[in-house]
Amino acid sequence: MRGKQLWIGIRFDLQDGWHTYWTNPGDSGEPPRIEWQLPAGFQVSDIQWPHPERLALASLVDYGYEDHVLLMVTVRPPERLRRVESTKIAAQVHYLVCHDVCIPGQKHLELSLPVKTSAAFSPARPLFDAARQKLPRPMPRNWKISATSTGDEFVVNLKADKVAKPVQFFPLHAEQIENAAPEKSTEVLGGLRLHLKKSEHLLRPIARLEGVIVLASGDAYRVRIPVAQPRDAHTQSKN
Amino acid sequence: MKHNPWWNLVAMFLLISSCYAVKVGDSAPDFQAMDSNGQVHKLSQCHGKFVVLEWHNNGCPYTQKHYESGNMQHLQKEWTSKGVVWLTVISSAPGEQGYVTAQQENDYMSKMKASPTAALLDPRGDVGKLYSAKTTPHMFVVNPAGVLIYDGAIDSKATTEQADISTAKNYVSQALEESMAGRPVSTPTSRPYGCSVKYAH
Repeated sequence: MRGKQLWIGIRFDLQDGWHTYWTNPGDSGEPPRIEWQLPAGFQVSDIQWPHPERLALASLVDYGYEDHVLLMVTVRPPERLRRVESTKIAAQVHYLVCHDVCIPGQKHLELSLPVKTSAAFSPARPLFDAARQKLPRPMPRNWKISATSTGDEFVVNLKADKVAKPVQFFPLHAEQIENAAPEKSTEVLGGLRLHLKKSEHLLRPIARLEGVIVLASGDAYRVRIPVAQPRDAHTQSKN
Repeated sequence: MKHNPWWNLVAMFLLISSCYAVKVGDSAPDFQAMDSNGQVHKLSQCHGKFVVLEWHNNGCPYTQKHYESGNMQHLQKEWTSKGVVWLTVISSAPGEQGYVTAQQENDYMSKMKASPTAALLDPRGDVGKLYSAKTTPHMFVVNPAGVLIYDGAIDSKATTEQADISTAKNYVSQALEESMAGRPVSTPTSRPYGCSVKYAH
């Protein structure tokens, strides 16, 4: 349909014990990359990443997916679409899958879509519905979140009703926190407190932590957490 | 905040764990390990020289990217000719990918025309864990005063594709060049990319 957004997904079916990666893969690995070949005028979004799982290896932690994952994008056809029967969308997918060992791969995928004036339900719709459940949503308006930088930790304070531990935080950017540090969350009055160990690679203060918070219920939210620096950062870090 | 006795414990734990952390700007922790020719190397014996540590696993596609292209061998040759000590470290546990005997490593190095100063065999993962080596490759640079000046990836393009090497920024060469010229290292840390180091489970 003209100018009307549609969703396209690339599904990974992973054998037992194998995994692939989130946009921030954690301590090792690499996220999938997709090069699109689209008809003129079509626009494609970035990958809409479902929230990952924490994958513990020997002494490392990766962020990724086991079993299966649908990586979705939205595609917007142009307002003026030529009168043709169908249109072809192609993708070159670069990916890495790991078990004990890692195997890089590439796959060329093609999809022919009918050009119509009305949309039809795809038989793959349940897959998309399930994957959308795992997309992080904007943080609820009644949440308040902030963090303090203290010595070698970020202490995140989440003020929210009815949020029980454990919660997981997945950092969007690498090298801000130690992925493999044990996760500590404590329930405090009116919310939760999370202790995140700073990465040894973090040499400068950061203004915010961005990432995804996943609740025990499986609900995932995008968060941008302002980080307050201690007043006397120098003395603190020496202690 | 009310004083909670648990905090003392937490603080003590942090103090202990931070003693073992490796951090750019701090002294690189000393270690000793046997190389593939049976010689023992100690980091502290390299005082006065730049030292590069390269974590290695010959079965890992990221390691293969840099060896099959000749990139790693080229770096080894270039920097050892300028007096840098280049130590390849193999921390794969027996039975894990990349584990090699001394003979296998020597065969591999002659086949690949690799020329590090030495290839250290670390099957118990002692050196790897001391440095929190996460991936293969994972690169460290120590300056002549024994201070860690770089900890991270080999270059700026985290892929398995050889074609990316020529357009990537090599962080190891950059750290060595800048430091030898008396300048601060502009990229002292980066996310190391590659396969996880295959420590014993």
